[in-house]
Amino acid sequence: MKLVVLVKQVPEADKVAVDPETGTLIREGVTAILNPYCEYALDQAAKLRTDNPNLDIEITAISMGPPQAKMALLRCLELGADKAYLLSDRKFAGSDVWATSSALKEGVSKLVPDFDLILTGKQAIDGDTAQVPAETAEQLGIPQITYGVDVKLNNKRVEVKREVETGYQVLSAKMPALVTMSKGSNIRRIPSMQAILDARKKPLESFTADDLGIDEEKVGLSASPTQVDKIFAPPSKTGGEIIYGSDPKEAAKKLFEYLKMNGFLRL
Amino acid sequence: MLKIDIDTCIGCKICERVCPFAAIVVDSDTKKARVLEGCTLCGTCVNACPVNALSIERKAISQEEIAKYKNIFIWGEWETKGNEIRIKSVVLELLAKGKELANKLGESLAVILPGKDVEHLVPKLFHYGADIVYLCQHELLEKYSTEGYTSVIASVIAAEKPSIVLYGATPNGRDLAPRIAARLALGLTADCTALNINSSRQLVQTRPAFGGNIMASILSPYTRPQMSTVRPGVFRKPKEDLTREGVVKNVEVTLKPVSIRTKIVEEILSEDEGINIEEAKILVSVGRGIGSKENLGIIREMANVINGTVSGSRALVDLGWLPHPQQVGQSGKTVAPTLYIALGISGAIQHLVGMSSSDTIVAINKDPEAGIFEIADFGIVGDIKKIVPEFIQLVKEEKKKQE
Amino acid sequence: MSNIIQAIKLDEVPFERIRSIHGEKTITQSYPNYLIDESKTSGGKAELIFFPDNEQEVSTIVRKMREERVEITISAARTGIVGSAIPFGGAILVLERMNGIQGIGFDEEERRWFIRVQPAISLQEINDFIKSKKFILDDQNIPQTESAVQRFNAYIYHYPVDPTEMTASIGGTIGTNASGARTFKYGPTREWVKRIRVVLSTGEVLDIPRGQYYAKDGKFIVKTGKEEYLVKIPTYKMPNAKNAAGLYAKPDMDLIDLFIGSEGIFGVITEAELWIKEYEPHMSNIAFFDNEKDALDFVHKLRTADRCKPDFIEYFDNNALNLLRNVQKKDPKFVNMPPIREDIKTAISFDIFYTEETLDFYFETIGKMLKECNSSLEDSWSAYEERETDRFKHFRHAVPEIVNNIIAERKKQYPDIHKLGTDMSVEDQYLADMMKFYHSTLIEAGLEYVIWGHIGDNHVHVNILPRDLNDLELGTKLYKKFAKKAVEYGGSVSAEHGIGKIKHEYLVIMYGEDAIDQMRAVKNTLDPDNIFNEGNIFPEEKE
Repeated sequence: MKLVVLVKQVPEADKVAVDPETGTLIREGVTAILNPYCEYALDQAAKLRTDNPNLDIEITAISMGPPQAKMALLRCLELGADKAYLLSDRKFAGSDVWATSSALKEGVSKLVPDFDLILTGKQAIDGDTAQVPAETAEQLGIPQITYGVDVKLNNKRVEVKREVETGYQVLSAKMPALVTMSKGSNIRRIPSMQAILDARKKPLESFTADDLGIDEEKVGLSASPTQVDKIFAPPSKTGGEIIYGSDPKEAAKKLFEYLKMNGFLRL
Repeated sequence: MLKIDIDTCIGCKICERVCPFAAIVVDSDTKKARVLEGCTLCGTCVNACPVNALSIERKAISQEEIAKYKNIFIWGEWETKGNEIRIKSVVLELLAKGKELANKLGESLAVILPGKDVEHLVPKLFHYGADIVYLCQHELLEKYSTEGYTSVIASVIAAEKPSIVLYGATPNGRDLAPRIAARLALGLTADCTALNINSSRQLVQTRPAFGGNIMASILSPYTRPQMSTVRPGVFRKPKEDLTREGVVKNVEVTLKPVSIRTKIVEEILSEDEGINIEEAKILVSVGRGIGSKENLGIIREMANVINGTVSGSRALVDLGWLPHPQQVGQSGKTVAPTLYIALGISGAIQHLVGMSSSDTIVAINKDPEAGIFEIADFGIVGDIKKIVPEFIQLVKEEKKKQE
Repeated sequence: MSNIIQAIKLDEVPFERIRSIHGEKTITQSYPNYLIDESKTSGGKAELIFFPDNEQEVSTIVRKMREERVEITISAARTGIVGSAIPFGGAILVLERMNGIQGIGFDEEERRWFIRVQPAISLQEINDFIKSKKFILDDQNIPQTESAVQRFNAYIYHYPVDPTEMTASIGGTIGTNASGARTFKYGPTREWVKRIRVVLSTGEVLDIPRGQYYAKDGKFIVKTGKEEYLVKIPTYKMPNAKNAAGLYAKPDMDLIDLFIGSEGIFGVITEAELWIKEYEPHMSNIAFFDNEKDALDFVHKLRTADRCKPDFIEYFDNNALNLLRNVQKKDPKFVNMPPIREDIKTAISFDIFYTEETLDFYFETIGKMLKECNSSLEDSWSAYEERETDRFKHFRHAVPEIVNNIIAERKKQYPDIHKLGTDMSVEDQYLADMMKFYHSTLIEAGLEYVIWGHIGDNHVHVNILPRDLNDLELGTKLYKKFAKKAVEYGGSVSAEHGIGKIKHEYLVIMYGEDAIDQMRAVKNTLDPDNIFNEGNIFPEEKE
């Protein structure tokens, strides 16, 4: 059975900021990592393989990105993927959600045409849109289940426990299908020395747009329906009054007075 | 242009069955699909074709074409509470913003309302500002499904040509909007915190990225409609005008079971009102500073005495001390209550992103350097385990006095 | 090269202008943090606190206090755990205002980079500064060429001595001769000190670069303005193991080494130059064993290996692993590592140099060793990305933190309970015997204990967790037993923490009273009025 995990290499998002003077992104000192939600997807794929030994599951990790995204794919190999493919080309630069999902759709159809299940993270922590997976599923013409927290395989169907506002649903779909993962283990896995050694022996290849026969009109900045007008630093909210070092009774009293004064205590 | 790859087509007729406009047929003599006049390029058949024989080449449209797209549409998402079906709060919030945009453009505001037995929701939509409601009822729309709702909404959009479509960034909204965007090859912006019209009559969509560390303004200059999702609580509900009326347009829905490829196997939903933190006016939110699960009792009591709802940070949900629906933050819910009390919450950026739009923020934390104090309107450096019980005492005494 | 050093007289500054606090009561009430360090020994008190801004102020204070016969305790970050910075009367000389960086330079002769700092700057700040590469300070007093700057900016540098407590002051670490995990490969603080300036009890300063003053026939001559002091280096032999106990003593030693590890008993360090080195990317690994013998065999193989010598080798015994396992069950995020299997009895954590080119070779070599020790590459954790190796670092520091928390809890019931941790080292060939001795002694005594530490240096921390005061008493007795054994095995009673005010008796076990007298003689020569840090290393008078 063939599982595809779509992954993205992202900067450690909580370290990225906008230079308030120039309005550009400060990328210095920010390391690139495998997107945490993509790691959840990979973990789920690995778990499916362990839980279903008779299905002979093969996991392929695919990413669209610059050459350094290879390190994120290497990590995928360390964490259990059998093969990894990078779609990398200048022509892909500046892709928005639509153009990215177009490239991924082409990549998946050409590299793993007989896939059964695609697993992705729910969103990338840099763009935060959570849209690429659904758009890729639509372009591939397969059903999607989003916000998965647990996935099971049941015959030719995939069964997903999905988060909604007031609890959970369990949805099922016939494969081929796409599932986005919203949650994974609190404690991220650590590969063994053997896994790290083995990863370097597994296939990790890079493909250009031409290699895959992707029409350059369909990808990149010019094919992107959304364009960034500008980026800026978020407005800084200034804090108000802070009470220090009172004893708890005093502090409680001050809290009570503040809330009462501002009309929050309608008892 | 709908393109049919004749060689790949197997004449299975699925496209014929799913088309909402009866605009594609399989010829009995050629046994191949052929497109007819009424095709709106909604893309339903493209998605459904099992052999990928259909495709739509979408090119950016000209300024002339763009001008033909008019009016603001909103997806009328509803939810079930027990036996009741009611419109989600976020839809009303979008109506307020939608009205503002419509007025600026001199256009109308409409709601697309797919579902079953939902006509009773229509008057409220008019009261809150909708001019038109596209009522799309069908048996198969009784529960939300990605493909069912995508087909219906995409076909309404393809037929009616709105210039803007807005969705609440709810779990289903974020599931639905990108599917529609991909079907129609449109630009979609997620989790917008601001929407405005610029001098060229374009929708300027502002949203956070990098976990909230930066803000970006986005345009969709070459495609129509422009689409955005907006988190609940970002915009304020408008005032209800009970006298207001509008126009209902009944949309004929063509849906076949074969179009909906996901099935609901089970639903485990909580009826507890306290679970819906997005609609609470007062949130008493707790973080790691509470120390232990047992101590949560005082937090619940505090919420109780001030008529608030309990919510919490990711740390507590990860520990299993609070259920996920009560989580505030980037991987939880975004809230904007009138009062947000952060107890023992340090204020990591991933948490702030989920609550910084609250009207008033009060914070108590042992650590004077905690980031939460930077956005708190009122803060106390102290131990919540000692201060909260004292506070509860004071409120109880006050209540007694008032009796 | 000579054994004679001339002290330099410094200009005085008006004493009244120096920042100070007066009054024992005021200090006890409003500045209690200056009366205690991380040893948490109680009873500290002082009549004066000084906050000098520079060397001249230090000199002025010292001269004045000597005149008035007031003892001085030198204080900076107070992160020490043997009470060295705790005053028991007199004045505290707090160096916290002298926390600047003077500059970064390249030594053409040694072909190495160094940084010049003031004593109270922390190790963390030093590393942050070097990392930030804000190379040219306007007021840097070390000139640099353009090419040197380019060379510096091409690489990442760091100060490699890495005690757990990186907020420790550099002066404090020089006073203790502090060590960290990386001491296994890079040596203790001593190896990294290029030059120091020390203000003596006369108020004059000694400027001591390494490599300039060597003892002749075990003697130094210190010339001040008024006198000539003859310093006789003690004749005891230092152990052939990691050591921070007592004074450094070798017949032909460098003068700078007399001051390093002297716990402030000779004077105040007012400036230091430290070598820094190119940062080498590393991989963190943890190997698991289902028994202790195999783990110790692996340690032996790893540290005698020809070509893949690790940066350090750390050890966790079964009790330590159990502590971690218990915490993982309640609060997995605290430990933040995958669950440790129940059948694992010993863990060995080691860092190695990392490049993609050498990875295969290292892992294959280590794989062979693990197989020979009944373990495998599969039974391990490994990482090279910085955020992942940070998890390993955090994991290594989790055990001491958990132990501290347990002691704090027990203190609530028995306020007199305190941590009982050893800091002893032995020679290489006695490692297995010493480990056996620790375990058998403690199991026989029925005490609750945990062992972890720098096994690469034969230096593990045995921590007894007293459940009540009986345990505490028994544990203290055993501590002495361990000290005697360690010395028997050619080791030190304090490998990194120092003696301070609380380990005098162990120093006696290690060297004997005669040796202590010799150390006292050096003290009496350089600080005849016993002004500085009384009670550190040895008591003023024989106890």
